[in-house]
Amino acid sequence: MIINGRAIASGRAEAEVLVLNEDFSFLGGVDTATGELRVGEGNISGRMFAFRRGKGSTVGSYTIFDLKTKNLAPAGIINATAETIVTTGAVIADIPLVDGIDIDALRSGDRAIIDGDSGTLELPDLELREVVSGIVRRGDDILLLRRSDEESHFPRMWGGASGLMEAGEGPEDAASRELLEETQIDARPTLIGRSFLIRGDGIIWKVHPVLFEADDEPTLNWEHCDYRWVSPADSAGMDTVPRLNEVLVRLGL
Amino acid sequence: MNLSAAEQRILDGEEGEGARKALELVVALGKIYGAEDLVPITSAHLSGVSYKTIGDGGIVYLEHVSQGAKVRVPSTLNPSGMDSVRWREMGVSEEFAAKQLHIIDLYGSMGVETSCSCTPYLAGNLPRKGDHVAWAESSALSMVNSMVGARTNREGGPGALAAAIVGRTANYGLHLKENRSPTVVVEADIDGSLFSHSLLGQAVGSRIGNGIPYFRGIRPDWEEAKIMAAAMAASGAVAMFHVEDHTPESSEHSTEGLEVINIGDEELKDAHESLSVVEDVELIAFGCPHLSMREVREMAYYLEGKVKKSDVKVWFCTSRQVRDALPKEVATLERFGTVLADTCMVVTPVEGLYERSASDSAKACNYLPTLCSQKVRCDSFQTLMEVVM
Repeated sequence: MIINGRAIASGRAEAEVLVLNEDFSFLGGVDTATGELRVGEGNISGRMFAFRRGKGSTVGSYTIFDLKTKNLAPAGIINATAETIVTTGAVIADIPLVDGIDIDALRSGDRAIIDGDSGTLELPDLELREVVSGIVRRGDDILLLRRSDEESHFPRMWGGASGLMEAGEGPEDAASRELLEETQIDARPTLIGRSFLIRGDGIIWKVHPVLFEADDEPTLNWEHCDYRWVSPADSAGMDTVPRLNEVLVRLGL
Repeated sequence: MNLSAAEQRILDGEEGEGARKALELVVALGKIYGAEDLVPITSAHLSGVSYKTIGDGGIVYLEHVSQGAKVRVPSTLNPSGMDSVRWREMGVSEEFAAKQLHIIDLYGSMGVETSCSCTPYLAGNLPRKGDHVAWAESSALSMVNSMVGARTNREGGPGALAAAIVGRTANYGLHLKENRSPTVVVEADIDGSLFSHSLLGQAVGSRIGNGIPYFRGIRPDWEEAKIMAAAMAASGAVAMFHVEDHTPESSEHSTEGLEVINIGDEELKDAHESLSVVEDVELIAFGCPHLSMREVREMAYYLEGKVKKSDVKVWFCTSRQVRDALPKEVATLERFGTVLADTCMVVTPVEGLYERSASDSAKACNYLPTLCSQKVRCDSFQTLMEVVM
């Protein structure tokens, strides 16, 4: 699978991922004699080092260059958000850097290829599954559906009208189709939220949040056993599918 | 990003590997902040000079970059870790000195002016209104943005060097007029002394972070503005300020609807107490930012005929140009302490020499505890000089 990020520092690198799911300072954060992390576990040398964002002293740029001259630098860097210190270090040390990637979706040990000119991250051993998560709004309330016992993923949990996108389908069409199948509500989306990634075993789910406005009461098919109109705030206390809150946030709810 | 034909040629390596690499860095930094193109610069001011701050990693980098690159615009250096001439008197080690002089030589080999000061605008590197420049050193870049109306972002050391090498920087942030508007109005009620400007800067920076204040109630001269700008950049991340009816761009923006904050005696007292934690000190240091010619003259005038009676060390930090220009005044100050050029109390290895130090600069008093492990006293020039007389 391929994830599109942003090209920051050019070059191509292939290596095993090392994830540090936090902000990181190269000055003090890594032993410059060994490449061993001082915060978190692992050695960054030759790895695809994935962390959220650079922080700390601007001397960190020189630390990256120093690691490179000792052959202890990472092969490539993946950030959620690039900033000045790490970008400077990556460019001067010729280390490819791609940002705009959900670090949450990566695991240490994943095989990864980044291209710092096109901004792509390739994860050859992982399968991408794109799904839609459709939320119907009626006034101040949103429609949540309870998944039936027969569902293989997340039975009995509350969520939106959701399902896999089919080949050639965009999030608008997929969400409208799923909504009609699951609730008999016939509507077109009013908003498509920014997608995000959820990590599974051997799979990364790319979730597209989709908003509908409708007044109709749903008629459920076999996939769900109950429904409720609730305020977005009340959904926090319910047993929901993973990261439903992220869907709501990205739809401005 | 949209690159001109000339910029593309540099990126294709037609003007050498050094220029290509520098442009790559300028472009990468611009990408992060959404710059659409690059803008030509008329000067650069570089940080990353003190061996204490850049370390051996910095030297390795400068050795690498200096092999194939020269700066294309007038470029100056920030203070180094020692006085290039009087470092032995400062107690700096031979090893530190050798590495420091090597760093300065490396910059010199790229065509950078090698006198080291945080007030380059008082020593020949003064942009004009509307000029785009690439300046590091938080106090100096705030001064040229604010008091001159030149345009620069808060550049880091390697970014500013790369910009100097290609004569361009990424066009975003404070290079664009729409980002130079004030974000908050500050009604200042202070006594107008130099030290009150230092504390005003401390109080404002810690309240507004990286905002752009619009001051009413003050008319700072260059000396007052520089100590205030330095404090705001250290306690916050202020890169630009306006002063009503005073700074060159103050009339070009509206303040309508902005939040107003009042800074008076109480706020200054809080700022003072937050910085000053000890009474007795071993070192008193002035000149953060570097003392101007006028300040050195005024200090000499004040100290003329007085006698030092204590063994507390006193440093007067200034630029090489000022020290060379005022031998008589420097001789007066030397009866009380050491007049140092090219360096300052923050970037020199003070921690190996002293444990408790004092300054009139809020910026110095922000950094001395963290960068130099000092316990600090913050007071005015006169108050601190009375300690030694």
